This record gives sequence, structure tokens and C-alpha cells, in this order.
Amino acid sequence: MLINQRTRSRAAAGAAIALSLACVLTSCAAPGSAPGGTEQTEAAPGFLAVADEALTGTGALTVQLDYDTSEADGLDPQTAQTDTSWMIMGLVYETLVTTDENFEIQPKLATSWEQPDDTTYVFTIDTTATFSNGRALTVDDVVGSLERQVASMSVWSGQMGPVESIEATGDDQVTVKLGSPYAPFLAALANTPAAILPMEEVNDGSVDLTTTMLGTGPYLVADHRQDESWTFTANPDWHGGDNLAVQTLELQIVDQESTRQAALREGSTGMAKFVNIDSLSQLGGNEGLQIVKQTQSGLYYVLVNSQKPDSPLNDQDVRFAINTAIDRQAIADIVFAGETTPTGITPSNLPGACRVDELPSEQAAIEDARATIEETGAGDVELDLIVDTSNPAMAQIAQLVQQQLAEIGVTVRIEQVDTAVYSERVFSAQPGDFDLSISWFEGYSDPSMVTKWWNPEQAFFNVGFTGVHEDLNALIAEGASETDPDARAEVLTELCASADEYAEMVPLVHRPSIIGFDTAAVSPTIQSNEGYGNILRNIADYRIAGE
Amino acid sequence: MMQILRWSAGRVMSALITLLGVSVLIFVAIRLMPGSYEDIILGPLASAEERQLLAEAYGLDQPIFVQYFAWIGQVLTGELGTSYVTQSSVSGEMLERIPVTATLTIMAMAVTLLAGVPLGIWTGVRSGAKQGGAVGRVVSSIGISVPEFVLGSIVIFVFSQFSLGLKVGGFASIGTGFWPTFQALLLPALVLSVFCVAATARTTRDAVMGVLVEPHITAAVARGETAGHIVRHHVLRNAGIPILTLLGTITAYLLGGAVIIETLFNLPGLGSFMVTGLGRRDFAVVQATVLFAAAVFVVLSLVLDLITSALDPRVAVTGKAGS
Repeated sequence: MLINQRTRSRAAAGAAIALSLACVLTSCAAPGSAPGGTEQTEAAPGFLAVADEALTGTGALTVQLDYDTSEADGLDPQTAQTDTSWMIMGLVYETLVTTDENFEIQPKLATSWEQPDDTTYVFTIDTTATFSNGRALTVDDVVGSLERQVASMSVWSGQMGPVESIEATGDDQVTVKLGSPYAPFLAALANTPAAILPMEEVNDGSVDLTTTMLGTGPYLVADHRQDESWTFTANPDWHGGDNLAVQTLELQIVDQESTRQAALREGSTGMAKFVNIDSLSQLGGNEGLQIVKQTQSGLYYVLVNSQKPDSPLNDQDVRFAINTAIDRQAIADIVFAGETTPTGITPSNLPGACRVDELPSEQAAIEDARATIEETGAGDVELDLIVDTSNPAMAQIAQLVQQQLAEIGVTVRIEQVDTAVYSERVFSAQPGDFDLSISWFEGYSDPSMVTKWWNPEQAFFNVGFTGVHEDLNALIAEGASETDPDARAEVLTELCASADEYAEMVPLVHRPSIIGFDTAAVSPTIQSNEGYGNILRNIADYRIAGE
Repeated sequence: MMQILRWSAGRVMSALITLLGVSVLIFVAIRLMPGSYEDIILGPLASAEERQLLAEAYGLDQPIFVQYFAWIGQVLTGELGTSYVTQSSVSGEMLERIPVTATLTIMAMAVTLLAGVPLGIWTGVRSGAKQGGAVGRVVSSIGISVPEFVLGSIVIFVFSQFSLGLKVGGFASIGTGFWPTFQALLLPALVLSVFCVAATARTTRDAVMGVLVEPHITAAVARGETAGHIVRHHVLRNAGIPILTLLGTITAYLLGGAVIIETLFNLPGLGSFMVTGLGRRDFAVVQATVLFAAAVFVVLSLVLDLITSALDPRVAVTGKAGS
């Protein structure tokens, strides 16, 4: 084990030098960022920033984001697929429950709930809530919305679990019965695709959800220019209270990270989201700006295509050798300057997640991995590693993985393509037209939500590059249905190990979000941890600074 | 006169054929690109049926020539199609963005003319002197060799870091008034114009130097005409045609450069519209924006040709400009 660690250290050092050279020509340098990350103190337990209650003014806030919603179904929240869409639509729509800074479920449109048995949930609905057209929320809206989601066959419908029936059992009561226990049920209800919709208007055709957003949330859409901007105004009838300081919220879509940085520096925006970890150091020294790193449960992972004919990656031993050679800690330290941490398939910051250092690939010796590659002749084949150009971090991870795999004799050729080509070659092609790839998942707030994607029969998108493994699928199902925390932790540990050995989707590190804000413009509340990529989760608590 | 009219009709016909060629080229090229709209918009979980439904909805399941004739038929009626992403009229979206790109391009062209031509004349007239030659070489070398995205990135960093009076991170739309828009577009226009200033200065300098060695200049000097009079009445008049020709090329360059500058400075113009459309394989948007840019270039070239022939009728008769 000691030899293994030393060898890895040498590999990491070599890779760091190579990556540093590459970074001279790109934008990934993080001068001054030492492995281990920058010191970040919480404003309060679980919060990177807490709004200053002493500020009583109201006004406008501009927030710059990297991309806009773009789903084929327009603005329908139930079919929204990306975290940005969930966040934007979540300004208008609300869910029955939400999650807090500890990933625990909290009330929202459901003021409380009971669980008389493992498969029954009885929600008490806040019928004082109104849609922004003035109509009061009813239990029929709740029943209709949840039934619509379950029947939708959307990305999120699979996350809802084995829902058997949804019924109104009182004027303010809705009962959901599941076919079998399903631990992530409430966590699935906490995300925007499970939003409560104005079903009366949807059913009578007066509202087209693909073009109109009508919810019970704190904001109304005043204007939207696709890929340019959104303007929201405060919903005067919002049931959450009349203490909304951000009365006008403008979201600007700014593709270039450097332009978002410039806007924050010069005060053109009050807040901005960044993808590149270097934004922490590049903006950190600016007076009046506060830059924080929000830990997402989301994770980067390597896709290892086991379905391509005549590929050495058909051999599980080769895939496991590759998994062994990938040094997650080195990726966290070098690519992310120590600002993130390694993870297994259960996001390591979620309760009950498996331990990364106990994964079989972490226990294995790199010399054994090298020997496997030599024995199988896999090193004689050049593997292509395809990366989507939309996220610079993925290209940087690819460079480091290339260096790490070279240590066991695997030659990797990196190919950067745009999102359309990436999606076609990785997700649409059957089998996938690639050997290795880098991608990321949201991690959500229950470990069994993301593990579902390791079952191609439930995930669908990975049928072209992963095999069907009954034992792994059984563990995924067991992890979701086990409700006893200790027993569940054991199952999840076994599940992590099994997925690690199959090595078709290899989790790497958590995907941090960098959020910058101008203290002269806004005093926000920002959670330290987030499961659904929603950096504006606490927008209702924000306070406007200055005049 | 008949020769000039025939030549002009030929140029118009040539322009129409060019536009037709561009329409075919862009229509086919974007469909040959790997990656599809369905991959981007429907996401990885989409079924084959969903993909098929979407293709049918936009006629993408039809043979390519059927798709082309349907589109070109729409174009001839002034309708440029419907964006796959926004479901709205591409013409309408373009009309909102054209003022941004047009203002940016006009400002960059103004800078080019106001800086490039005088600089070229000055360095051309002083080409014999060490000062003029050195200045000309240095300015044109720097201007031509520094890529816009490098210069733009530097400008964005410097102006945002040191509060130099102009904002670079937020665009003031045309509707907010002349001054805010002018301020928002000034830096992008200056960055966009750097290459063109250098190219114009070099072309003007070469043209001026070429004219200065002509016998009629020697005769003018012998007649005792002042240097200023010679430049205004003899040099500029004769050097004007190559400069005018260059303006057509510069317009094309500015339209192309606007794509990078608009993306870099986050300006909601036609260039960024096209880039986003290309990334999403929004065929209708890409086809319309490319065709529009080509039409602007072709029409401008045609106008410049006609002006050139008016200034020097030998162009229309022999196809060559006199000196």
C-alpha cells in the first residue's frame, strides 16, 4: 500500500508538471492555490453566507449564469433536465418539500407530512398558497401534478419511485401510496420537476406550460430572451411572506467565464456563478467581492465504454486496472486545487454515503494494474478520450487522466468536441462511439437517486456503453428500498464496491460551484452544500445592500 | 454607356448567383456536421420515437432537396424560418439583434477610416523618412498579428480590474439611449477595428507610395504645388480606388470578427446569435444568419464596384482600374 501511494505521488507530480505546462497555453492556472484548498470559513454552520437581517431595503439584483434553459418542451418544469433549468423554474414553481443545508427534507407547500407505514405518505397542503393568477392552491393541483409527473416518462419520473396511487384524502390532505418502500421519495419530491402546477388551468387549456410559467413561487416572469436574459418580478401574493428584498431579479446568460468575472469586478452584476475553480483565486483579491465555493453533491465521472466491439475495455479486468490507475485525490488536488474531494458512486457528502478509501480500486496496487494491462495487451491499443468543450474542467481532468493511465502503459488520445457531437457519440450512438469520456451528474440529496443511473435499464442513456449486471442492479434497488439507516449503509457500501469493480462509470470528485457576489449590492444566504445545483435556493432570504 | 450598363447587370447577376451558392453551401454544410438538434435538446434519455417526432415536426425527415426548396421558398417571401429552440420567427429575432451588430460594425468601420486612412497617408508620404516607415511597420505589424480574442480578453481584464471608465461586463441595449449604448460598444468596436486599422493603413500606405512615384506627381512638384495640395488632389484621388476595394473586404472581416467580439463581450448581436444557433444545431438560425451576412457583403461589394466604375469608367470597360 505504501509503495502504491509513493508511486501515485510520483505520477501526480509528473502529471502536475505536464498539466501546468498545458495550463500556460490555456486558462486553467491557479497560481497560489495549494493542494488542500483555500481556507473557507462558514458564516454559520452549513452556510457560506448569511443575509444581513439589518438590511431592510428592497431593490433589484442581477445574477450572471453560464447557460440558459433549452429543453425541447420549453418551460415545462416536469420535463426540465438541467440544474440551471431547475433553478430558474424554481423561482416560479414550488414543490411540496425542499432540502436544507444538511440535505434534510423540510416543508414547503406541504406544511407537514406523516408516514403511517413504510409505503404511505400523508401530506398536509398549505391551501393558503395561491398561484400567481390569484387562484388558491387545491389538493387537486397536487394530485394532478404528481400524477402528471409519474406518467410523464420524463427524466424525473423514474426518480419518483414505485408510486401506486395519489389521492386527495381531505380538503388539505394528499396521500401517496408506494408499491414498496422507497427511501429517496421525499428527496425526489424536493426538486423542481416535482413542482406543483396549476392543473385546473392546464386541464382547461388556458395555460400552456411549454410557453408560460404560472406557479405559487416568489417570482413572476416579466421577460425572457432565450440565451440572453430573464427578468423576474416579485409575486405580490406569495404565501412565503412580504419580506422579499429582491423585488426584481435579472438573470443574464453570459457564456464566457472571463466576461462574468469582469462584470462582477466592475459592478455590472451583483452576483455570478463560475465553473472554473481558478475564479476563486482570480477574483479573491478584489475588494468588495466575496467568492465562495459551494460543495455540490454532483460529481464528475469517467465513462468507460464496455460495449464497443473488439475493445480491450470489454474486459472487466482492464477496466478495473484503469479505475485503479485513476487517482481521484490527484484530480482533486491538481485540477481543482484541492477545492473538492473524491467520491464513490454515492456522493460522499450525503448521509450514508460509502467511504471512498474503502473502494476496491483504492485498495488495489497500481503495479497490479500495470501487470493487467501488460498481460491483456490493452496497452498496445490507443484509447480515445472524448471531452465536451462546454466545461473547461473536464478537459483538465482529461489531461490528468491521460497522464495517470500512461503510468500503467495505456495510451490515451484526447478529443475535444462540442456538445452536439459529444451527445451523439456518447449517448445516441449504439454502441457508443468512444472509448473513454468525462461527464458529470447532479448528486441530489439522497444517495440512491444518483446510483439509479448505474442501472442502464433505468437510466437508458448509458445502454450504449455499459452492460446490464443483475447483481449491481439488485444492490441499486435494495439501496433505494432499505429504510433502516444502518442496513442501508451496508448495502450502499457493497453497491459502491460492485460499481467500482465493473468500472464502466467511474466516479472521480465532487463538482464545486463557485459563486461570487458584490457585497455592496447584495447580502445573500448561500448553503455550504447543495444537491440540485440551485445556487439561488435561498433567494427569498437575500437582502439588498446599499441604496 | 451601354458597356457600363451591361457590366453593371453582370455584376448584379453575379451577386445573385453568389447568394444562391451560399444558400446551398450553408444548407448542406450544417447538415453534414456531426451532432444533431435532437441530441442537444432532447438530451440523452430521449427515445428513438421522440427523436423521430421531433424530426417530423421540423421536416428534418424529408429528403434534403425537399427541405432546401421549402426553405428557399420561405426566404424569397421574406420569412427565414422558425427557431427550433425558441419556437419563434428567426426574422423577428434577427431584427432585434441587427441594430447591435450594425452599430458595432459601423463604429468599427468609422474607427478604421478615421485612423487607418490618415495613418496610411502619413506613413506613405513619409515613407522615405525613418520615422514614418518605422511607425507604419510597427503599427501594422502589431495590429495584424494580435488576435481579437487575445486583445479582447486583455481589454476586458484591464478595464474591469482598474475601473477605467468604460464597462465591459454588461450590455446597455439600444433602447436605453445613445450614450449608454455607445459606451457599451466603444471598447468592442475598438478591439474589432484594430486589425482593420492596420490593414487599411498598410494598403493606403502602399497605394500612396505607388502614386508618389508617378510622373504626374513629379510634374506637380515641378509646378510648385504644395505638398498638401498634391496629396489632396493627386495622391488621394488615385490611391482611393484600392482603398475603396479594401473596404468591401474589411466589411466582411468586421462581420466575421463581430462573431468573436459579440461572444467575448456578451453582446446580443447577430454573431452571438449565430454561434449559439450553431452550438445547438438550430439549422434555421444558422442558415438565416449566414445568408444575411453573405447578402450584406455581396450587396456592399456590388455598391463598391458600382462606385468604383463611376469613379473610373475604365473598370467597367476593361475590368482594370487605371492609376
